[in-house]
Formats: sequence, structure tokens, C-alpha cells
Amino acid sequence: MTRTADEDLDDVETVAEPMVAVYRHDLHKMRGRSHEAAVDVYADVQVNEPVPLGADRDAALLSRLRGEPEETVSNHKSPYRLSLLAGSTPRPDDPGPSEHGLGFQDLVKSSDPEELHARWVTSDIAGAYHESMFVPYTSLKHHTLLAAALLDNYRAGHGFDDLYLVATNPGDDDVTDVSSALSAESVVPHRTVLWTPEIALYVTVEPGDRPAARLGDTPAMSFADTWSRLSGHPLDVGGEERWRMLDAELRRIRSWSTALAFIEDFVGLHGDAA
Amino acid sequence: MIRVQQLLFEVEGSYYGHPYFVTGNALFNAIARRADAATRRSLHVSTGVFVPGEYGTYPDRHSQSGRAGKMGMSLQPVEAYEDLFLFRDAAHRWLKESRPRDAHNTHDVESHGGRLAFASSKRFGRPAEMRANKRTMSWFVHCYVHADEEGVVPLDADVVDGVRVGGARNYGLGELSLADSQVVDVGALDFSAVNDASTHRIELLSPYVLQSECPGADRQSVPWWWDNDENLRRRDTRFVDGVDVYDVATVDHGQVVGYAGDDPVSTAVNGVLRVGTHSRFGFGEFRVRSASSDRVPARAKAGAVRADGGDV
Repeated sequence: MTRTADEDLDDVETVAEPMVAVYRHDLHKMRGRSHEAAVDVYADVQVNEPVPLGADRDAALLSRLRGEPEETVSNHKSPYRLSLLAGSTPRPDDPGPSEHGLGFQDLVKSSDPEELHARWVTSDIAGAYHESMFVPYTSLKHHTLLAAALLDNYRAGHGFDDLYLVATNPGDDDVTDVSSALSAESVVPHRTVLWTPEIALYVTVEPGDRPAARLGDTPAMSFADTWSRLSGHPLDVGGEERWRMLDAELRRIRSWSTALAFIEDFVGLHGDAA
Repeated sequence: MIRVQQLLFEVEGSYYGHPYFVTGNALFNAIARRADAATRRSLHVSTGVFVPGEYGTYPDRHSQSGRAGKMGMSLQPVEAYEDLFLFRDAAHRWLKESRPRDAHNTHDVESHGGRLAFASSKRFGRPAEMRANKRTMSWFVHCYVHADEEGVVPLDADVVDGVRVGGARNYGLGELSLADSQVVDVGALDFSAVNDASTHRIELLSPYVLQSECPGADRQSVPWWWDNDENLRRRDTRFVDGVDVYDVATVDHGQVVGYAGDDPVSTAVNGVLRVGTHSRFGFGEFRVRSASSDRVPARAKAGAVRADGGDV
């Protein structure tokens, strides 16, 4: 087993329970603040704590380049994510971060890790923000879910190179809100990194007989590579042109959080519920 | 001499067709109706891979190094076997890191009366509150042809320039203009990276046909020289011959298997010329790689850095 975390990151201790802290670790990005200017306490809970076992850093490497960031998109000085599908921010009429107070609290306030996962995996608000101004097509929502999935797997003693991407159709599950996420069979706490009516994605060591592909030795911007190696098709690509188009695009996208946000945008626009 | 002609087209109109690539069959038929009998009889056409007309950097395993300007808008020198595949992988790992690569490499989708088509170019507009920036990127299509008969390849520019592919061609969709062309002798390329490796993998670049409903088409099993324990992803597709449409069952492109044969260089050449049923029309293309090389460049680098105990 190899673990990619540095030794010093292994020693990180959090005030909140680690599987709670991971869902609160990047609140400062939604509030438009730098890591240095981030507050420690928000809505009476500990926020912006470093994530143990290098899970945050590894999740970041799945979606953006290592090293000093460079600006890739000029003129996008905004905390909002740019949609690959729409070419614009998903919430162009948004009134701005200050109006989001209540929505932000829902994403961090609970001390129940499973409830926090259910809130993030169903959140629209979190999906409206990017990971970094330098790479505005990334998604803070999916970065956080990937970090939580890695942390949960690492805490169970698995290394990055033990992990699989698993892709399924959620079947008859009602993919709507937090309470449906908490009761749905297709939602596995912390391991479900994408949950839409057409497709659900998991990061896990137990692929079973579901369509799956290994994540590889180390975290890298490898979504296209991993997706195109899946052992089966989670989407009905034999039957419908729209799913062939989505599949074709996913074989091109290298950043993980960008790809997961792209699937959500695509299903929102072209899925049956649209 | 194994003569292959690479062709790079600029996409002039919206494309309403097979979304993974322009099929070899579509390209063959578009070219054949403008070509002579020998060409129709003996031409083999690969799939057409969509290429963003964007800035790039040569990958590590390429005979050239450094930056190459707007790499996607012209063909690049081919001296080594690996160079053949620069534009053959939809992930386009050559795209420059300092630009929004994923935005350049995904198609804008247009709806024509409910039918979804790929736009021929991509405009990088900005949200309304941002300063205007109307940079436009064009899409290109890369394919290659070879022939059983002498004198067919290279094709003349006026035979291939302006061909139309996909649906709604009568409405101006799917026009391709020739941007670049070059002839490569596959037999004269440097195969040392394949030769030097002790174990190899095979990466399917186009679907491999298992069964086709076409009259006379052979049913095929997975080749013995593919070493694979896991499930191979299948995909059903169609083969159009005039007014007839035939179901075709394939192993889906993108799958990677081990190599169990003992002549990797010959296999590598066969992969360029393609194997199996309907290989004349783009099916059965594959690349041979050293099993120790990683398709994802950042992962190969990360492994090296950590092995040195360096900071990542």
C-alpha cells in the first residue's frame, strides 16, 4: 500500500471529527476569502481546518496542476465556477456570496458526517463555486466530495492505488434532496462523489461487478483516462445519442472536479428530468 | 514502404454525426464519391479524431520537444512511431497547461430543432459583468489513409478538400476543408521505444469488431494476443452501407489490455493499418505502449518526484 500524503500531513489533528472537518475545510472559498484570511469559527462551528492524511492535497491534484498556480482564464475574477457546457457561470443572476449565509450554514453546521455528505452531494450552491480563481472550470462541490471520499478510504487503511472509480445508474432512487440522499441505496456516505438521476459515481475499494476502473498509482488529472477504461457503460450509449455525446466529452476532460460538474450540468440540461 | 497519408481538416460547419469521432466509413464515402475507381477499390480510411486548434507542447514521448505554437492547426513532424499518435487520443495531452485545456477540448453543443450537433468553433466569451473577450477557437479533424494499390496515396488535395460528413449535409453541415497533409513511411519510423520495452500494453484507439450483421462479415473473438483478466467494455454501434444499416458489436475504444504476443514492432505496425472486420473503415486501430510508461504525463512525473524524495 502506498499513501501519497507527506508525513507532516499525516499528523494533522482537527478540532472537529475528521469526517466532519473535511466538509468544512474550504468554506473560505465560497466566502471569497484567501486561506490566510479564513476564519476559524463560522456559525458556531470550527471551519477551514486542514484535512488529515493529505486527502485535500490529493483531491486537488485530481483536478488541477501541481505547483504554483497560473491564471488560465483571464478576466474571470469571480468565485463562481465557469460551466464548460454553458461557457458562463451557472448562476449569473446570483446576488453574491453575502446573500448565501443560510445556504453556507447548511453545508457546515451539522456534526453528523453522513448528513454533511448528503447535503454536499445534493447542493446546488456548492456547485456554483470553483476550487481556484486560476482554474475556474473546476468545482468546489466536487473537490470537497473527492477529498471526503479519499479521506474516508485512507482512514479505512486503503492507499490511493487501491481505489477504483465506480459508475452506476441510480435506478429507481429518488434523486432530489438531502432526505432522499440519506435514505437512497445509491448513496454511500462519503464514497458517492456524484449523484444524478442518470448516473452515480463512487470512489471505493470495492467495485464488485459494477463498471469500474482503477484510479492509478498517484493522484493526477486523469479523469478522461480513467473514464475511458471503465469496464462497462453506466450510460445507455447504445440507445441514445445524448449519452454518446456525454460519453465522448468525458473521454476528453482531464480534471476530475471539472468532469463531475460537467456531468451534472449535462444531465441538468439534457436529462429526462430537464 | 508502408505509405500512410495524414490529413488534417478544419471543421467549417456544425457537425451532426457520430460524436466520438467522424467514422472512417463516413470519411471513406465522402472521399470515394469524388475519387477514381482504384481509390474506391483500395483506399483504407481511419476514424477522424476531433482536434482543438490550440496551443500545445510536444509530449515527453515525441521525437520533437518544446512548444509548437498553435499545434492543433497543422500536422507535426513524424519521425518516431509515437509521433503518429499525437492527435489520435481524444484527451489531447499535448494541450498547453497554462490555458484552460478542458474548455478547449470539449465541444459546444448546438440544438438544431432538437437535434444536438457539435459547433465548428468555440467562442470564449465571458460573463456579462466581465470585460469582453471574443477569442475564437476552431475545431479540426485528423485522419489518415492508406491503400492496397500503388499510386492511390497520396490523394490529391482537390479530392479531399471540401468533403462533407455527418447528417444534414445538404443544409451545409459537416463541411471539412483541407488544412494540412503529409505522407509518412511507417516502416521507416523509429520503433526503439517499443523495441526497448520488455512488456507492452495495447490501447484501443477505435472500436474492435466482434460481430457485424453486414453480409459476409466475419464474427471474431477477442484476439489471443490481448492479455486481459477483467471485463472488456462492449459497445454496440452501426455500420451504414448506402440505405442499409447493420448492427455491429465491438470492444469499445479506450480499453487497455496487456500484450501477450512476441513481436511488438510488427504488432505496432498492424495497429496503425488496423485489424479485424471493417478495419478498412476505421475499426481496429490500436497503439502499442511500453507497460512501464504512463498515459497520464503528470502521474509519471509525480512518481519520479516522490521517488527522489522531493517536494510535490
